[in-house]
Amino acid sequence: MSKFQRFLLKRLAISVLLTLIAVSVIFVVLRLLPGSPFEALVTSGNLNQEQIDEIRAMYGLDQSIWVQYVNYLGSLLTFQFGYSILRSQPVWDVLEPRLINSLILLVPALVTTAILSSLLGMYAGWNRGSRLEKFSIVSTTLLRSTPVFITAIFFIIVFAYNLEIVPALGMRSIRATPDGYIETFASLDFLHHYILPFTVAVLYYSGDFLLLARNGVVEKRGSEFLKLHRAKGLTEMEQLARAGRNSMLPILTYFTLRLGMIFQGLILLEVVFSWPGIGRELVLAIQQQDYPLVQAAVFIMALAVILANLLADVLYAYFDPTVSTSGGGSA
Amino acid sequence: MSTETKPKAELYKRVDALWTTVRDQFAFLRRDPMAFAGMLVVGAFVFLGLFGPYLAPHDPIEHTVRGDGGSVLRLAAPSVDAFFGTTAYGKDVLSQFLAGARPTLIVGLFGGLGTGALGFTVGVVSGYYGGWVDELLMRLTDLTFSLPFMPMALLLLTFMTPNIWLITAIIAAFLWKMPARVVRSEVLSVRERTFVKSARASGASDLRTMLYHVAPNVLPIGFLYTAYGVAWAIAAQASLAFLGFGDPTMTSWGRMLRQVFASGNMRVAWWWVLPPAIGIAAITTSVFLIGRAYEEVINPEIQTDQ
Repeated sequence: MSKFQRFLLKRLAISVLLTLIAVSVIFVVLRLLPGSPFEALVTSGNLNQEQIDEIRAMYGLDQSIWVQYVNYLGSLLTFQFGYSILRSQPVWDVLEPRLINSLILLVPALVTTAILSSLLGMYAGWNRGSRLEKFSIVSTTLLRSTPVFITAIFFIIVFAYNLEIVPALGMRSIRATPDGYIETFASLDFLHHYILPFTVAVLYYSGDFLLLARNGVVEKRGSEFLKLHRAKGLTEMEQLARAGRNSMLPILTYFTLRLGMIFQGLILLEVVFSWPGIGRELVLAIQQQDYPLVQAAVFIMALAVILANLLADVLYAYFDPTVSTSGGGSA
Repeated sequence: MSTETKPKAELYKRVDALWTTVRDQFAFLRRDPMAFAGMLVVGAFVFLGLFGPYLAPHDPIEHTVRGDGGSVLRLAAPSVDAFFGTTAYGKDVLSQFLAGARPTLIVGLFGGLGTGALGFTVGVVSGYYGGWVDELLMRLTDLTFSLPFMPMALLLLTFMTPNIWLITAIIAAFLWKMPARVVRSEVLSVRERTFVKSARASGASDLRTMLYHVAPNVLPIGFLYTAYGVAWAIAAQASLAFLGFGDPTMTSWGRMLRQVFASGNMRVAWWWVLPPAIGIAAITTSVFLIGRAYEEVINPEIQTDQ
């Protein structure tokens, strides 16, 4: 077994272990929660004891905590999330469209900002000390450090309320009754609702990529291989392209990590724009104490992070020969 | 005599050196106009956090603003009666804004300090000892990375009554991983330097080596991440409050925004939205700008020419 394979195997084992622990923590936290959605039904007096027992048995709540735990582990890891208590629908049927709605908003935004901001950052780093560099750093710092819901509120006030160019809320207009994903997303109405949250997400994440790219190019600027390229007579732009290519790795790693954290990072964005995504659904489910829905949503978010971390570590170890694969390879 | 004056002289020298450091830092920040502006904002914010509640003309929650005829002024635009206008419940926005700085300051300051201190300790111990200690602590950071902060915080706050210290503790408990990783990787390189090895060789204990030889060399990056921790804590607190999981007994900027948003008055009541929104944006950005200015100095790799 090569060194890289051993590293891969170890990293994989750690990820599996982390998933198990994360899932257990979620289980414990959820069982600690006082009350249950059934209490509202019970206190309303519409159910007799037999019916209550029946419902509890249906959700497996009459069994011992250990049996519940084992059942829970088994069902989560096989992606059987059970029934949403309040919507009386399988949890996956509730979450799947929400998940798609989140992905269709956040993934294109992250890709766009990774490309545009990195290019801008490289250019800014090359022209260190220029007005463009200073301006881009201050403006992206402002956008990155301000909580995303505040940026979103400002954008809504300016573009939706005052200029009235775009709608402030939702994913489709209330009258639209699309059937299936293609009809939902392939329409001008969708685009109209899409543009504002998309822009805010792009701007929110621009800062990190810009600074990573800029720092990478600044580091490379004095290095020997660029002197060689200059001596060879390459133009400024060609030199920048080579310096930029050599600072791609941290950006790629960072992109992967961000991708994993995308659902949890933009919960507030979805809430402000009333975007029917997984983050907003989670907040609603917590408020309504719909545990099966909550645990499935948190599980999906945790899993995304664990997988992305794994991928980032492996990419890093694979592409960067200077990283020791014997452990602690993540930057 | 001399035995007594010597430690004293030593003390003076240390105080003097400390004072010089503070002055140097100040002079350094003056050179970077953005960082200097950030420092002014932070100063104003700390002032508001300390004295804001006493400056507030009315009680932010109890007092109801009334017009000439004694009727409650709801959603009134800024006027002589209420400089920043009133909320949908007839409360004075200016008073809420002034009082709301305090919880933001408390969570930001202690959340940031807690994040920095915890992360710094874990990073130094993990990097210094290496081996199974390192493995264990780093897997622990992996675990806190994989438990999504916002959902977990929301869950925890549903079964514990939110109060400001609990929120601070939750934030620090989730954010320490950031400085821990960075400090650890710094320690890994410091550990191999000659002065650390010679300290060990001359018989210094692990604790002494860590405290006197390793820690001071990674302190700057620890401070930097403490500063970022402050900004993260403020943003996290505002976000939690905006979702309705803030301390219900205190007016905070995030809570003000929640009330505008939830009452559906964002469209009209710009005077109710802008003060807390600008407040939060200004303080988080300022802390980051100061941090950035330091990062340029601390990170030797980006100090090539210029």
